[in-house]
Amino acid sequence: MAAPRSAQRTRLWGSLLALPTAWMVTFFVSSMVIVVLLSFGRTTNEGFPVFATNTENYQALWNEVYFELFLRSLLYALATVAISLLIAYPVAYVIALHGGRYKNVLIAAIVVPFFASYLIRMYAWKALLADDGLVNRGLRETGLGDGITFLNTSYAVIGGLVYGFVVFMILPIYASLERLDVSLIEAGKDLYHGPVRTFFHVTLPATRAGLYGGILLVFLPALGDFVSAQLLGGASTYMIGNLVQQQFLEGQNWPLGSALTVAMMVALTALMVAYLRATSTRVREV
Amino acid sequence: MGRAGKLERKPRFAVAVTVVFFAWLYLPILAVALFSFNDKKSLSAFSGFSLRWYDEFFHNSALIDSLVASLKIASVATLGSLVLGTMLALGLERVRSRRSRVIGAVTLLPLVTPEIVTGVAALLLFTGISLKLSMTTVILAEITFSIAYVTVIVRGRLSGISLEVEEAACDLGCTPFQALRLVILPTLVPALIGAGLLVFALVFDDFVLAFFTTGVDPQPLPVRVYASIRFGVSPAINAIGTLMLVASALLIVAALTLPRLFSRGTSSVDLITGGDRR
Repeated sequence: MAAPRSAQRTRLWGSLLALPTAWMVTFFVSSMVIVVLLSFGRTTNEGFPVFATNTENYQALWNEVYFELFLRSLLYALATVAISLLIAYPVAYVIALHGGRYKNVLIAAIVVPFFASYLIRMYAWKALLADDGLVNRGLRETGLGDGITFLNTSYAVIGGLVYGFVVFMILPIYASLERLDVSLIEAGKDLYHGPVRTFFHVTLPATRAGLYGGILLVFLPALGDFVSAQLLGGASTYMIGNLVQQQFLEGQNWPLGSALTVAMMVALTALMVAYLRATSTRVREV
Repeated sequence: MGRAGKLERKPRFAVAVTVVFFAWLYLPILAVALFSFNDKKSLSAFSGFSLRWYDEFFHNSALIDSLVASLKIASVATLGSLVLGTMLALGLERVRSRRSRVIGAVTLLPLVTPEIVTGVAALLLFTGISLKLSMTTVILAEITFSIAYVTVIVRGRLSGISLEVEEAACDLGCTPFQALRLVILPTLVPALIGAGLLVFALVFDDFVLAFFTTGVDPQPLPVRVYASIRFGVSPAINAIGTLMLVASALLIVAALTLPRLFSRGTSSVDLITGGDRR
């Protein structure tokens, strides 16, 4: 009796997979394949992208201008991760362990602006930091100086990225701190005495999973972002995303844009594999 | 409460960082909200209270069209990804085979792919199959992107439902489909509400995918906002931003309270962070 019924059930579950799988193959997998194929393509004299089998686009990428761009994007993304980490850990720690009954309210207060709109958040900074913005006005009126140019600097762009993505660091760290057994910290106090040593020997290792997750969740969108560099920066702060966007929507060299996209994905995959290897062995050690 | 008492005194440094963080988080946004009520165009000198920028927004038919378009896109994409994502979650959770593991991995890829890559790829696909860029293409791209969120949240909930519950239903005479419809789906309701609200908010606010896949008219709201920000700052954008902030706050409150009406056990933070992922 049980066997045919469970076979029937398996068939039902299996059939549920068919439609979403077909959808993902049609709209996701095939689109990625097209990007890879077109990266070997060329643009006709009339300006249309066509498939081909040349490596010209990749050869075009092999020059200093693009190296610098990739390096800058990587540095901006890493700086964003580092700053987010320094902000997120203390904030998550205070809310999770000392938030008391205001915990959920505080977390909601952090999430609200992040749900409002990424663009509006970037805009808020642009309005605040503009040459005739509130900050410069304040500086002038208090006589602290006659204005500082904030926009078009690396600081503005990285600041924008942190402001945009720091929540992705706070939430996973908060979740792992929430699950942390507080008696571990007490035991740590007894064993190591000082709160600093306890933190580095007990609390930090116990929340590794959230930490590693948060790093990925901030790094990935930061590396591909073009809005922050577009709105808060300028040509001297452009990241890979800006160039990809230009090739597709302004320059109209789709094959070159595809090659840039593929190069970015390859670099990203290599980094991810290295990162996951390094972190998974460390998680196992604990 | 008692938990905090057992710990040593509050770590002063971390508390200071937290206070500064909240100030830094809200200062720019509150400035946006304040100057949306300014009666002059200035964004640095507040000269008097006025609703003229809201008036301008509600009488600008292009902006209203964009708002309506964004609401439609978000609604349809939410429904579509809820259906597909739930089917996927059910299949992946109950069918344990090598093939289903591969499917599971592939469907999670959009979560770890930078959005600009997904956007470019979608643009190439739609152009390749000669699908004219329009609201439809935005919706197709947004569904593809959102399925993974629904799947992750629903699977988190499903893993807490014992297989025996289904077996019991079948022993009581249910067909497998009835067991799914009468037993499993009702227990998924809180997860579905949470996932639906999350996806709606994400899609409504999504700029990058919409930017690459939208047609000329009507453009989704974020695309239009981006275009006007590039030309400079204007209090009309402040008005839109303030409205979005209020809508977001209401949505979060809904996300925190709605599922509680259905189940007492789900913590609100689980919903925001996407349920307890194992």
